[in-house]
Amino acid sequence: MVIVVGTALAFDFTNGFHDTANVVATSISTGAARPQVAIGIASLLNFVGAFISISVAATVAKDVVDASVITPTIVFAGLVGAIAWNLITWWFGLPSSSSHALIGGVVGSAVAAAGLDAVLAEGLVGKVLIPAVIAPLLAFLVAGLGIGFAYWIVGRQRPGPVTRGFRYGQVVSGGLLALAHGTNDAQKTMGVITLALIANGTLSANADPPVWVIVSAATAIALGTYIGGWRIIRTTGSRIIKMDAAQGFSAQGAGAAVILASTHFGFPLSTTHVINGGVMGAGAGKRVSAVRWGVAGNIVAAWLLTLPAAAAIGAAVYGVTRIFGTGALGPVLVTLMALGLIAAAFARRSQQGAPVPAG
Amino acid sequence: MATIVESKELVETVIASLVAGVGITAVFSVAIWGGARFADLSRDGRPLAAGAVAALGALALATTVVAVVFGIVVMTSK
Repeated sequence: MVIVVGTALAFDFTNGFHDTANVVATSISTGAARPQVAIGIASLLNFVGAFISISVAATVAKDVVDASVITPTIVFAGLVGAIAWNLITWWFGLPSSSSHALIGGVVGSAVAAAGLDAVLAEGLVGKVLIPAVIAPLLAFLVAGLGIGFAYWIVGRQRPGPVTRGFRYGQVVSGGLLALAHGTNDAQKTMGVITLALIANGTLSANADPPVWVIVSAATAIALGTYIGGWRIIRTTGSRIIKMDAAQGFSAQGAGAAVILASTHFGFPLSTTHVINGGVMGAGAGKRVSAVRWGVAGNIVAAWLLTLPAAAAIGAAVYGVTRIFGTGALGPVLVTLMALGLIAAAFARRSQQGAPVPAG
Repeated sequence: MATIVESKELVETVIASLVAGVGITAVFSVAIWGGARFADLSRDGRPLAAGAVAALGALALATTVVAVVFGIVVMTSK
């Protein structure tokens, strides 16, 4: 269980490292905040956000896979699958979905271990897959309509005061987005740890996440947020569209609204999907050709790959882990192998030079 | 039944997102418009009109703040 919890927190850290930079990308690219300030605020609000709801954690723990057939080894393998996919997409600078990587990893390892019956299809489709499709489209629509109204209202004013006003607004909208991210994404890790604790018999089947789980998940995602994500900031903030402050505000407002509303109903969304949908909507709302659709297409491809790829890796990791039996030996060896691979990847990255900062 | 409930929740999510996301952006834009027009009208020596747009801008800013706080309270109420 210690290895599983440690792996879950490592996933949470990579989630912050990989995902949360998207939250601050728009503020940075429009000049509303300096990178270190934006990331510092985002880290703090991610930490706070983790404490304000447990609806998503309940969905992940109880509505996606059958907890009665889950073992800590299955959860471990799913987590390793999700971390691997996060790192692969981070390596290539593509915004993927940590959330769907996590769910894909757990579903893949559960299917490898117990067959298709281990999956709660209704919950997976109704609470994960359908919202996964709707959320970025909704953010696109909300941001597009929002920027349309904004330009209609302030379009004839001098650009100086308007830009300053929206930059001030972005401090709030960026903060809201970070809060929304913390409450939705940190809960996924809480949900997975809770699932493992239920599988281990430490918690009863309908238990909520214990306080120590909430605190540790909040801390891990906040630390990950603070430390990582420069390559993905660049992709989201400046390569999809060149944004002005009004577009940044509209994109962040759309993202925060969609994530907070979804969190209220326990839908485990991807902040990455939503914010990129919002960014594209804000770009298309001004001028459709302003969106660099080629980059957007690459991002969509990464989204589509996330669930099956993480599921395949999760299943493979489960198979490798089970070679060493059902005890702790398999997870220990897989963890050591994974750490070795990660160290080699970072060593190669540092030889090639640091990731490009936000422009 | 579960699917029906989730469909209802999805519809509510869509409506809440549209109202909050578009509404707050539009109302905050009015606040910025009020601020920008206030500066222009003050410079043109039209204090009454400047006061009116400043009041409208302030009202819009207050509405934005209230809407944001209300949204967070509703979100955390479940």
